[in-house]
Amino acid sequence: MNTTSSFKTTARRRGTALLFGTTSALMFGSAVAAQDTLVVGRSMDVNSLDPSRAFCDTCQIYLTAVYEPLITLGADNKTLEPKLAASWEHNENFTEFTFNLNPEAVFSDGSPVEASDVVWTFERLRNLKGSPSFLMDGTQSIEAVDAHTVKVTVDAPNSEFLNKVSAPYTGILNTEAAMAGGALADETAATADGAEGWFLENSVGSGPFVLVNYAPEDELRLSRNDSYYGTAPAFAEVVITQMQDSVIQAQALETGSVDIAMQIDADTAKSLDTPDVVTEIIPSFNFVYFAFMPGSTAMKDKLTPQVREALTYAVDYDGMIEFTVGGNGNKIAAPIPNGFPGTQNLEPRAQDVEKAKSMLAEAGMDSGLEMVAVYPNDNVYGVDLNVMMQKLQQDFAQVGVEVTLKPVTYPVWREEMAAGTADLTAVYYAPDYYGSGQYAAYFGMTEGSTWVSRAGYQSPETVLNEKEGEIYAQALAASGEEAAAKYEELGRELMADNVIIPLVSPNLVLAHRADIDGVRYSACCNLPLAEISRK
Amino acid sequence: MLRYLIRRVLGVPFLLLGVASVAFILSQSTKGDPLSALVPERMMNNPEIVQAVEAQWGLDKPLPVRYVVYMKNLVQGDMGTSFNTRRPVARDIAERLPATLELVVAAMIVGTTLGMAIGLLSARFRHSIFDNAARGFALLGSSLPIFWSGLIMLYIFSVQLKWTPGTGRLDARTQAPEGVTGFYTVDALLAGNGGLFIEALSHLALPALVLGWSVIGIVARLVRSSLLDALGQDYVRTARAKGASDRVVLINHALRNALIPVLTVLGFTFAYLITGAVLTEAIFSWPGIGSYAVSAARSLDYPAIGGVTIVGATAFLLANLVTDIAYAWANPRIKVSG
Repeated sequence: MNTTSSFKTTARRRGTALLFGTTSALMFGSAVAAQDTLVVGRSMDVNSLDPSRAFCDTCQIYLTAVYEPLITLGADNKTLEPKLAASWEHNENFTEFTFNLNPEAVFSDGSPVEASDVVWTFERLRNLKGSPSFLMDGTQSIEAVDAHTVKVTVDAPNSEFLNKVSAPYTGILNTEAAMAGGALADETAATADGAEGWFLENSVGSGPFVLVNYAPEDELRLSRNDSYYGTAPAFAEVVITQMQDSVIQAQALETGSVDIAMQIDADTAKSLDTPDVVTEIIPSFNFVYFAFMPGSTAMKDKLTPQVREALTYAVDYDGMIEFTVGGNGNKIAAPIPNGFPGTQNLEPRAQDVEKAKSMLAEAGMDSGLEMVAVYPNDNVYGVDLNVMMQKLQQDFAQVGVEVTLKPVTYPVWREEMAAGTADLTAVYYAPDYYGSGQYAAYFGMTEGSTWVSRAGYQSPETVLNEKEGEIYAQALAASGEEAAAKYEELGRELMADNVIIPLVSPNLVLAHRADIDGVRYSACCNLPLAEISRK
Repeated sequence: MLRYLIRRVLGVPFLLLGVASVAFILSQSTKGDPLSALVPERMMNNPEIVQAVEAQWGLDKPLPVRYVVYMKNLVQGDMGTSFNTRRPVARDIAERLPATLELVVAAMIVGTTLGMAIGLLSARFRHSIFDNAARGFALLGSSLPIFWSGLIMLYIFSVQLKWTPGTGRLDARTQAPEGVTGFYTVDALLAGNGGLFIEALSHLALPALVLGWSVIGIVARLVRSSLLDALGQDYVRTARAKGASDRVVLINHALRNALIPVLTVLGFTFAYLITGAVLTEAIFSWPGIGSYAVSAARSLDYPAIGGVTIVGATAFLLANLVTDIAYAWANPRIKVSG
């Protein structure tokens, strides 16, 4: 282009920019006026806004902003820090926990947070039999010692109880206000509580924000809690706005329509080449895994421990990370996220095709094996399960195992899991709180665990490993290094089960406008909104 | 005509009840775990939680009992509570339908106006450069996948040129106007807020253009071929022989007759877009009924599936009715018998 035409083009662009700039100033006058609104772009997965029923990633963000648990997780994603409880203590064998409430804490209506509110909230959480009710499993009694002291007794040593009450789902409710909205905490709560709809329009917490508006799959609007007893959040208003797709979130971030985009994948992040946007790629605590189902109708007597072990050697773990997330992820040894207690010394698996072949031959499977993999046709945490299972299919083909892929909708997958017709599946996990016990409870091959009934189906003996129950109990009776050593032992057992095979822990992209400060990823709470400010 | 209309309108509730029954039976017979939206995956093997949820949502009752309860509630205007949103389905639809209608009406205005103009000029200047270019443009609109054209147009007009705002019905920082009609453009005008009207209109422009482009393709091709067909008819030749001008022949004689197949397509396109604008809604974060329908279907949200089916069926019934009336207007030879 010559100088003249370049000048003309520039002048034309400037003219257009001026015209549209003027129009934009007119159009977006209200946006400019509302500078202290934080806008977060996110594909929302809200299933409830009732703290005792909600169970999702967006719920964690919302509940952390609006409600407060007794304890929270520090910025190092390891240390427990005071929240509503100014201090706490426990007896030697971790069966009695006493929490001393901050006497200054008040709910958003100005009424004080008292021990009776904690008792009522915990009883409701337990009795409602909602998704997060497991956090109160084993509680024998919850008592108000005085107006600001609560004592919880559990039926067996549980050094992770403190971690559990740092989960946002244990946020304390204003009893009187919640009851006025139809909430119940007694033993009839599971069937008679009628407050779920009410919680979609009202919040009754002591957190830094209050709910203003919730429109499903559209927006979640919060405003600053003017009665907040702690440090007031920097933003007067926070809007989480629905954005389905990674590319759309990136475009919105680039134009400034949003201040933070939460689900940009690492590939898309590379396209954000502007000084107005900051991106940081960090490891996450989420992971995606595949699982053998030795108790399935077709696999009984075939997916023996030896065959399962052989097949784990067939998997190209490094290639899997390249294939699924373009290298933006980490290997993970046991189904416990890297960085959680007990994972430090666990060595991730490595591919050894020859060993896989010889072990299969020893097991009498050298003539081949056919399996059906049923999994949700979804993309989770940036991992397309179809792509992941195609790679697994290729890897297994190298050792003579033919896998038929059967991607299905999520409801169909659930039905197939219940029917025990799948030989392989793929699922994902994100932590509910910081602590390795949740993985023992869920993935442990102990009587009654989720994965014994799922992978074992009608033949639980094919996967049972009662040793894990004993180690888990020992870990819960210990703390610190001693507990971590037990979780490591448990991790090795989970690896030796060769039922749950973690494949990739995808990295997270923290993407925000350059003038935004305080964005961090929390293992318990996802994105603590109250810590965010504008520079 | 009036008797015919009354008879058609009176039949609508019965048809809708039939549609609702079919939707109920089909969705409940579909393979899949209905608790998938109600019980998280990690809790699905916990019998205590599963039983509590089944009892709470009435899923522990046999299918015939559930059907009777559903139909009884439906005739009283209660479509049930959505498994996904945990809110009454009627409320969800009342909030989302105006968003879709606003988008679809805007897209139909864009699509019909430009489509008719292009079709008319293409027929008039058959085989000219304009005709070829216009047909190419129309063909692109019909064939380009909306998820692609939407993303590209967003990138060009919003990210690069900054001519249009980002996604959503309004900027996320802006409060929605008081809901009178649910059309943000109209409600902003009713509230006397010119700035808000312009903001709502600027947010509507790009999705309407993307969705409307697919309509342009349909309308332009149909108008062109119908007009070419009409222009070869005897009555057109007669009009020309009487000395009528090209414009009069084209507009007054040929176009009116050529409109009949166009009206049929327009009516059904409008009805289809009510629940079929899902890709545009997803790309432009437009909280409409299409994305609601997809979420409902994906998670086996029975009450929401029923509600959306009724909305879709109503749209098609009304489109059918309006098309029949429009036929009579467009061609007086077509009579409806009462």
